[in-house]
Amino acid sequence: MSADPFLNRPIGRRSVLRGGLGALAASAFAGPLLTACGGDSSGGGDGKEMSFWNFYGPADDNGPQSKWFVSLAEQWNANNDVKVELRYIPGKEYLGGNVLQTAFQAGQGPDIFLISPGDFLRYYNGGVLQDLSAQLSDQTKADYLPGMLEARSVDGKIYGLPMEIEPLAMYYSEAAFEKAGLSEADLPKTWDQTLAVAQKLTGKNKYGVMFETAPGYYQNFTWYPFLWQGDGAVIKDGKVAFDTPAAVQALKFWQDTIQSKVAPRKALGGGGGDVLANLGAGAAAMQQSGIWAVSDMRAKGQKTKYGIIPHPTPEGGKQATDLGGWAFVANAKGKNPEAAAKFIAWALGSTDAEGVERGRQWNTVVKTNVPPRKSVQQAADSQGAFAEGVLKKFVSEIAPTGQPEPRFPPEVYQPIADAIQACQLNATDPGKAAADAAEKIDTFLKTYQGAPIS
Amino acid sequence: MATTTAPRSKPLVKAGTPGEKQKRSLTRKQREAVAAYAFLAPDVIGLLVFVALPMVLAFAVALFKVDGFGNYQYVGLANYKLMGSDDQLLASLKVTGTYVITYVPIAFVVSLALAMLVRNKFKGIGWVRSAFFLPNVVSLVVVGLLWQFLLVDKRGAISSLLAPFGLEDVSFLGTPSLALGTYVVISVWFIMGYQMLVFLAGLKDVPKELEDAAHIDGAGSWQRFRYVIWPLLRPTSFFVVVNSTIGAVTGLQAFDLVYVLTAGGPARSTSTVVLYIYEQAFTFNNIGYATALTTVVVALLVICTGLMFALTRGGRFDEE
Repeated sequence: MSADPFLNRPIGRRSVLRGGLGALAASAFAGPLLTACGGDSSGGGDGKEMSFWNFYGPADDNGPQSKWFVSLAEQWNANNDVKVELRYIPGKEYLGGNVLQTAFQAGQGPDIFLISPGDFLRYYNGGVLQDLSAQLSDQTKADYLPGMLEARSVDGKIYGLPMEIEPLAMYYSEAAFEKAGLSEADLPKTWDQTLAVAQKLTGKNKYGVMFETAPGYYQNFTWYPFLWQGDGAVIKDGKVAFDTPAAVQALKFWQDTIQSKVAPRKALGGGGGDVLANLGAGAAAMQQSGIWAVSDMRAKGQKTKYGIIPHPTPEGGKQATDLGGWAFVANAKGKNPEAAAKFIAWALGSTDAEGVERGRQWNTVVKTNVPPRKSVQQAADSQGAFAEGVLKKFVSEIAPTGQPEPRFPPEVYQPIADAIQACQLNATDPGKAAADAAEKIDTFLKTYQGAPIS
Repeated sequence: MATTTAPRSKPLVKAGTPGEKQKRSLTRKQREAVAAYAFLAPDVIGLLVFVALPMVLAFAVALFKVDGFGNYQYVGLANYKLMGSDDQLLASLKVTGTYVITYVPIAFVVSLALAMLVRNKFKGIGWVRSAFFLPNVVSLVVVGLLWQFLLVDKRGAISSLLAPFGLEDVSFLGTPSLALGTYVVISVWFIMGYQMLVFLAGLKDVPKELEDAAHIDGAGSWQRFRYVIWPLLRPTSFFVVVNSTIGAVTGLQAFDLVYVLTAGGPARSTSTVVLYIYEQAFTFNNIGYATALTTVVVALLVICTGLMFALTRGGRFDEE
């Protein structure tokens, strides 16, 4: 019996040769074709419609964040000839998928899109980010907190306008502490204390502490504060500076949490940043996450009593957090880059009452962030947004210790990610992992020709 | 079978209008050929457009440095030369190799065992066969999410089952030494129903009288399987091995499943070569290099398949 007649058919040498020659001929034809295709996305047109790809709205759940985006587009469209059309892409696909990259490769990238600092250089070096400077008034530039625009600038030109600041902190479950017979006095201030307290909090169905374990940009983002606490850096003065005691001790701290079995190897729900699915569900007693989790807990985790503390530090270390946050950017090769830049400046940079209120709504009502603009922060303060509780702590105690999220290209980010993963989950010697990563970064930096890495 | 077509000796001639040039109609053989090509056309066109053309274009793209923003720079064979110094590629090939040499035989044995189990009819056989086949009808993304849920550290159903043995702290997807094995088990669970059906089809072609004769001659169950069924199943086995090897290297479970389950972690322990290609294309924007890698993987698969053909004399098992 033959399962497939083709399997019984001998493959002739001539057939193979014919196929090979055909492939070569087609390659010769396709090469110039591909080259030609690549060059026609110069943009700079005067299109009457701009696509805005984002991971907030219009979403099926029609939640407050989705409504904010929809309302933003409607307000703009009511007063402008060049219309904005929103395209919602689910967060997981936007962050981890390939929809944006595929679109840009095909010369069909969106006119406006959201970008994290971790992706800034990839798009800037690709030549697709539009300079927004001309659309921003001096008043707007001065309104942004120090460092916010610099992290999205190259040679003094601004390429992205931040919509939020998202500092990281340690969340803790009051119920878990009470159950373990611990009080606020036991909240850890150092790494050693963290391990000791986590040991007491770890139980049959619960881990004492939790850090992100999934590889990716987010894990790197959450690990940098521990590097900075020991005065470490990845790159200093244009040269690699990763193979240092600061990096080694930070890698070892995360490794220790796993080796001592007080932290999970795999998070629940949406991962390390999902407080609701982990701490909220009682699976972790302490968890590192960002300010965004406050609005998540407000919406769906009201029964969970929790607090936040700054990241514990190594002995003699300094306080540090990572100031993440997304920005609006315009596609320089889009249908109408000028109008896209104008839209961004209006949406996030307007200094009139309506613009400030829009920023306040986004940062303190529909979502919880630290506003990146002084005027928005003042407006939020006047409404008592940061007067008490965890948000007060985020703004007054944690955010001031922060550094903007580094804008590393993938070739720098990946060796760090590999080092974190290897130490945390595969018991690799932190000294060796740091040295290996440093070597790879060094090799890359020797040939790197893009915008300054910071 | 009766036919109404005209005799071959008498060509059909269409009556033309006055002044119109008379046309010779097609012969029966030609008409059959036209019909055959017409039936084949949808498949052939589909294969050409969606398989052959992208493959040819891939060979072309592999000769360029492509930055992901529509810019192409001709680099000749530089992308292929780069592979020689790429440690991560070697590591991912090792992961894929380990996966193939564990998954393919395990899936083979399990599927064949299941096929033998449900070969003979008994009450409720339809339900049993359906149950075994059920995992295969579920999307691999759903399969990944389902197993993630079952394998949650400390709290998952599997951890609860293992708790009496003191193994509740085992993290199947978070421990590098266990993650690949877990991925293999889930892959087998997913594919076993499909391969079971293929084996069942093969078993149906095994003449009952041969087995009966062996039985009368005193052959036991194992001997009947070893000396009667197994040799006659070889073409089916060959198909299953080739099919599952290709599936293990480039199939959906080599990307979709592992992407959802572990995203290549922990510590790259499940970073298959397809996942690595994806990473090169969409994280590093090295689309030219990623494409060159795909051509190499295809070449490796062609070589593997060719070897299998050679070892089995082109799959001609019936000419022994």
